[in-house]
Parts: sequence; structure tokens; C-alpha cells
Amino acid sequence: MMRYFLRRLGHAFLLIFGVSILAFLFTTLAPGNYFDEMRLNPQIAPETVAALRAQYQLDRPLVVRYASWVNSLIHGEMGFSFAYNSPVAPLLLVRARNTLLLTVTATVLAWGIALPAGVWSAERVGRLPDRLISWGTAALLVIPDLALALGLLVLAVRTGWFPTGGMASVDFEDFSLLHKLRDLALHLALPILALVLSALPLLVRHVRAAVAEVLGAPFMLAAQGHGIPRRTLLYRYALPAAANPLISLFGFSIGALLSGSLLIEVVMSWPGLGPFLLEAILSRDLYVVIGGVLFSTVFLVTGNFLADMLLYWADPRIRTKSGAR
Amino acid sequence: MKTRSAKPLRCLRLLSLVLPALVSAFGPAEATPQQKNTNEELLVVPGDAGHSGGRLVVSLRGEPKTLNPLIAADARSREVIGVMQADLVHINRATQLTEPALAKSWKISADGLEYTLVLRKGLRFSDGQALDADDVVFTFRVYLDESVHAPQRDLLIVGGKPIVVRKVDAQTVVFQLAKTYGVGERLFDGLAILPRHLLEKPYQEGKLGQIGTLATAAPQWAGMGPFRLKEYVAGQRLVLERNPYYWKTDAKGNRLPYLDELVFLFVPNADAQVLKFQSGETDVISQVSAENFSVLSRQQKSYAMTDAGPGLEYNFLFFNLNDAGEKTSPEMQRRQKWFREVKFRQAVSAAVDREAIVRLVYQGRGGGIWGLVAPGNRRWGDENLAHPARSLERARALLKEAGFSWSNGADGESVLQDADGKAVEFSILTSSSNAERAKMAALIQDDLKQIGMRVQVVSLEFRSLLDRVTQTKEYDACVMGIASFDADPNSDINVWLSSGGTHLWNPSQEHPGTPWEAEIDRLIGEQMSARTFEQRKKLYDRAQEILAEYQPMIFLASPDILVGAKNSVGNFHPAVLEPYVLWNVEQLYLKSSPENGAR
Repeated sequence: MMRYFLRRLGHAFLLIFGVSILAFLFTTLAPGNYFDEMRLNPQIAPETVAALRAQYQLDRPLVVRYASWVNSLIHGEMGFSFAYNSPVAPLLLVRARNTLLLTVTATVLAWGIALPAGVWSAERVGRLPDRLISWGTAALLVIPDLALALGLLVLAVRTGWFPTGGMASVDFEDFSLLHKLRDLALHLALPILALVLSALPLLVRHVRAAVAEVLGAPFMLAAQGHGIPRRTLLYRYALPAAANPLISLFGFSIGALLSGSLLIEVVMSWPGLGPFLLEAILSRDLYVVIGGVLFSTVFLVTGNFLADMLLYWADPRIRTKSGAR
Repeated sequence: MKTRSAKPLRCLRLLSLVLPALVSAFGPAEATPQQKNTNEELLVVPGDAGHSGGRLVVSLRGEPKTLNPLIAADARSREVIGVMQADLVHINRATQLTEPALAKSWKISADGLEYTLVLRKGLRFSDGQALDADDVVFTFRVYLDESVHAPQRDLLIVGGKPIVVRKVDAQTVVFQLAKTYGVGERLFDGLAILPRHLLEKPYQEGKLGQIGTLATAAPQWAGMGPFRLKEYVAGQRLVLERNPYYWKTDAKGNRLPYLDELVFLFVPNADAQVLKFQSGETDVISQVSAENFSVLSRQQKSYAMTDAGPGLEYNFLFFNLNDAGEKTSPEMQRRQKWFREVKFRQAVSAAVDREAIVRLVYQGRGGGIWGLVAPGNRRWGDENLAHPARSLERARALLKEAGFSWSNGADGESVLQDADGKAVEFSILTSSSNAERAKMAALIQDDLKQIGMRVQVVSLEFRSLLDRVTQTKEYDACVMGIASFDADPNSDINVWLSSGGTHLWNPSQEHPGTPWEAEIDRLIGEQMSARTFEQRKKLYDRAQEILAEYQPMIFLASPDILVGAKNSVGNFHPAVLEPYVLWNVEQLYLKSSPENGAR
């Protein structure tokens, strides 16, 4: 167990290190830099722009800048934002918290709906309810996330039932606790709905396929023959047996917690990493972009790592294989 | 129920009468900030008197980055800083003329080299600390310190030398210039006076750049503007509260600002801004595109949309006239030979349909331009500058004179070719994030096709475009726009001068590349040191005429300033200079209504 765990952990660190180098390289290779827009200000002399570039070490070699960034990473700063003139880590953390509030809720909801819906559909393969779910998920699959989010925003404007974006009302601080929760729930409703609707088709289809495959297995027929009730059969025997692909998918869901909602956040003005990173990319706020990529990579790697551990726990074949090595 | 509550209520009323008397009898002798202190020289602002109280909510397209004027480089930070800070002399955005601000008066010496500014008495920063000449001297010392890299420094270099600032007494400061400066007292507009009591220590420790972040605690930041920091929620909003020490009153003697709070909501894009306004979540909106303006105008009920008229933004097409020497590829050399031909540029200008640009890009809410001075600039436009209508005949005649000819292409279309028989074909860069300029480029492509030019429009992400234009210089032509900060020519000095970084067709030249650029340099240099408006105007008009003749920039159109406000917002008078709707924020108020009362 420990060897398997350490090997996976080693892979994870190597991956993060590799991603950090690539992120650094690609963001540096992108044309333009943060101070270029100042060149368009007729009141600022080119010498001032050059001095600012030098102040932020943009005129130094790439290796020097990478070393300096790694040093700041060790000190928990993750580099320095040119735009905010402050360390990147606190800027990212506060926005990542908002993103996680959105995505964790949406992921829990999506899995909470997808598991029973997928099992229900698998139990009725080829029948009308299964077809209806297939058509529904196919329809959701073809609707782009952007169209979905815009449609929901139109609904908000037309009906006035929901706020048109943002995370809290202007009066939020003056509200009672109950009123605060209600306000937050209202602001969360539409972005979560958009995220759940966009994630649901894939999850439902995977659960359905995995469970349907297990339901036809001989051990299930034997269990049925022993008179085990249908519900117990489905949730106690079929679902764990179908768990392997679902655990991998769950790992990806965790990996996408930070990066999966960026577009929805931008469209719905959610103050998470989405609008923040988009602006950083467009303005070439180099270290914010690298920090964002690194944050997402850590989540992806953690998700995969967790999935590996869950698989190790759930599947005796993996334990045997890794023990044999 | 009524009888039970009546007694405490009476007691409360009695207390409310007695308490102020007790406080005034035993409390500090100094007047509360709301009242006018007899030692204060407050500025009385003309205009309709409003009601105090309430909160105005405004959306910002993105998050401001700092509250520190020394490092603010983005428009959002500048907008927020604009309502938290104040300058010595201010340009009234409505009249476009200067007016007293923190300085109650100023005097310019006979030789034009010395400006003596007298500060108002009783000025206080938003944290209650007094402001005097030491703060002013400190502010300019910081701005001029090279190690601070403040963008303001470039504005304070006159005749190649930094301005010298000297304190005369607690209320009087003298500014010594190395050369006469035509800009005059406009120089002081936008230069926020910094709180020495808060910034001197970090300045001495070399940490000025690290303070004034948005996360700064409210008591640690102060300014002279109508509002001061109250609360910042990362990624969501910035809440400002009224500065109780503000130095302006209305005609009735009520201390401004009227509003209790000003809230900036951060939204990621223009569409989100429109949605927030449409749903009533924000009170005012500015920088609305013509398309959104039409949509909002159709649905206006509780709000009114206003076309404030032509602004100071000018959009233009320019060709790559850089001289890269031997590095230039033969293909580029051939194209640059066309671009350097004045008649070629004049022909392009004659072929461009500016009316169509205004009609199709700005839905009629804008105006065609033939020079750098946009129609919104009331004082500096050259009335004698020709505004020739589109003429394909004239374009063809000019091209013919320059040795170009036409042949029939494979598809039967007429193809323009140069003296060597090569087809005239080039690309126009445009920013992919600016839909209006992309449309302009497409219209120009169509216009030039009619005189046989084959043009490809290349949309690039804005930073990549800037990199091509200002760094690698690998481009043929580009459509771009600049918005002047001020009506004065000083605002665009680096566009005019051949040594300027925004002399976009051939920036940062060591020596003027052409005789006409040398002449423009001379005229702009002279007008900068001329003493009277008439002298400056004459020189500036001549520079505009040269630019119109040689067409290094082919001016296209200038959009109107489109804004909107809820009907409940009083004193809403949008201007065409930035900040378009908040320039008189201290006078904005919420008209009495049950809805506003509930806020």
C-alpha cells in the first residue's frame, strides 16, 4: 500500500513540476507583456514603460525568472501580480474559494442526480424511460454551455426571480444570517443549474453504461435467483461492481473543480477564478496565469490521486497487481 | 400597544433635543465635519441642490487593481481613484475649462515660468488630518522621484527638466518651470495630492508601490475626494462612503457629496454591465456600445438613456512606415514602397466611406473624422480642415498619378498593380476584442476592393496586436483607436512627436524620418511653450493641416458617448471627457421616492 501510495505521489509531484515549467514557458512565449498597453497611453514616455519592465524583471533571462518564481512559491507567494502589485497566492485563494463553493455544490448535486438516474435508466434499458433519459441527455449534450448560461440569464432578466449574476447583493453585509443564506442561494441558483445541466449528460450516461453492463453479468443473475430484493441488488451489488469507471470519472470531477466552471463564471459574473484568470490572460499578468494553471493542476492531480486510492480500496485486482510488483 | 410605546418614544424625543445641547456644551469646540467650520474656505458649487443620503450603485467592467495613484495604470483604478482623490486645479468636464480645486487661486509670473498656487484654508483629508503645503511638496517630490516610476512623472518634465516645487508658507506653493508651458494650470488636473502623514514612512522605506492595495484597511487610506474607502470584497464590489471633510458645498451651503455611499460592482464584460442596469441592480451606466444603447433605449421606463454627443476617441487606420533597414524582407520593402507614397495614403483616405462606418458601426451615433482632434473637443479642432466626401474617382486619379495602374484579375475584377506590375495586396490588423474596430476594418476592406486593392483583415488578440505594432513591427496596416484624456493637445503629445511612443506609424524615432514630421515636431514644440491660446491654436491648426495632407494616420470615426441613468438620479449631466458620468459625483443625488427611501 505504502509503495503504491508513494509512487503515485511521486508521479503527482513530477507532473506538477512539468506543468509549472510548461506554463512558464508558454506564458512567456505569448506575444506582448503587461506593460504594452501603457505604450498606447500618449502621456507615458517609452522610458517609463522600459523602467517598469525592468523593475518587474521582465528584461531578465527566462531561467532567472523561473528560479525567482520557484523561490516565491516556496515562500507561499506564487509570484507577484503586475496588475494588483501584490503576491499572487492570496489573490488566487480568495477567488478559488468562491469557485469551489460553486463547483463543489454543483458536483455534489450532479452526482446526486446522476447516480439514481443512471441506475434507474440502466434497469430499464431500451424501454421508454431509458429512451427519454437518453434523448434528454443527448439534448443537453448538444447545447453549448455558453448558450445554456445565456438562456438562464435571459430568464433572470425577464422574470426578475434571480439576480443577473454576481455572488451577493449590495446589502449583503446588513442582512440577517437567514437572509444572507437566502441571498447566496439565489445568486448560486443559476450558475449551479448551468453547471449541473452541462455535467449531467456525461455522468448519467456513464453510470447507465457501467451499471447496465454489470446487470447482465452471471453473478447478478445468480443473486437474482437467490431472491435478493431488486433495490438491494442494484445499489448493494450492481453499483459497487460498476464502480471502477465511475471512480475514475469522480477523480476527473474533482480535477475539474477549479477549471470546469471558468466559462460559466465569466458569463454569470461569478467572482471566482474565471473572470480573474481571463483578465490576467488578456492583460498578460504572467504570474497570475501561471498560478491559476498550477492551482488547477494540483486539483487535477489530487483528483486522480484520490481516484487511484479509491480504486485501490475498491478493486482487489489492483491491490493484487501492485502487491505482486 | 400605542399607549405602551408612547412613553419611551417621548423620552427618546426629549433625549434627542437635550443630547446635542449637552454635546455642544461639554464636547470639543471644533465643529463636526458635516457643519461648515468658520475657518474653512469651502468651494461653493453651482447647480441644483439635492437631497443628502442614499447609495449609488455603478458597475465597473472588471476589478480595479489599486487605490494608489502612483501605480494605477488601468482605467478602472483611475475611475475609483478619481472619486477618492482631488487635485489642485481641476478641468471641469462639462466646460472643458480649468477651475479652482484644492488651490483656491493661482498666479502665473510675467515670464510664465513660475506658478504660485494658494491652497484653501481648513482642508482635511478623509481621515480628518489637515492638508497643507507640505503635503503638496511631498506629493510632487514623490511623483518626480525616478525610483518610484510614477506615470505622472512624464507630465511634470517641462523643457526636459523636472518642475521644481517650493513651499512659501502653509498655504502657498510655488512651481518653477524650466520653460514656458502652454498647457498652463491644466498641468495640475488629475494629479492627486497625497497624504504625507500616511505615505512618508513607506516612501522612505522604498515601499510606496506596495501600499494602497484594495485590501488596505479603511483607516489606513485617505484622500481629498468626495468618497473614502469603506469596504472591499475581492472580485465583487468596492464600497465607498462619503468623506465628511469634503471641501465643496452646494449653493445652499450643504456640504457635499449628497450620497452616503458609492458602490462599484465588478462585472466581467459589457453585456453583464447592461444586464445589471436593465434589471435595476445598478443606477448608472456608461461607455455603452451603440448596439446596447439601442436595446436599452427601446426598453427604457425607469431609466433614461442619453447620447452625450461626440467624445474624444479617434479611430484611425495607419500603415507601417517603420524603417527596419536590412532586416526588412523584399516583400515588405515592396509594400512599404506603396505605403510611403503620400498619394497612395491619400487615395486610401479618399476611398474610405466614413459615413458608412458611422452608420453601420455606430448606428449613426458618432461622426466621421479627418483629423486627430475629435469632434467632442470644442476648442482645438481646426475649422479650416477639409472634410472631403468619399470619392473613388479622386482615389483612382491619385493612384494613377503615383504610377499605379489596373488590370483584369482572374475573376474579372479590376486589380490595382504597382509600377512593377505587382498586385497591390496587404493585410490590416485589428483587435479581436473590439467588435467595432473589426467592423471598421471589414468596411475598409470592402471600400478598397472598389479601387482594386486586395485587403485581408487579420484579427489578433489585443496584446499580440500591440506586440506586432510596437515591438516586432511585422504588419502592413492596422486599425486602432485612442481616447484623449483631455481636450488640450498635451494629451496627445506622444502621438504628434516623432520621438513619441504612440507616433504609431513609426514610433520613437531618434530624428524625424521625413521633413513634414520635422515640421510637426517644430510646431508642436512651439505651441507647447506658446503663452496664449491664440498662438497655440494657430500652431496646432498648422500641425493638423500637415497631418491631414500627409495622412500617416487615416482618420475614420469618433463614437458618441452613450450613457444612461435611472430617473431617480438627480444632477445627472454626462460629459464627453472621462469619467463620463461620475465627473460630478459629489453633486449626484437620489430623488425622493419610496423606493429610494428604502435603500
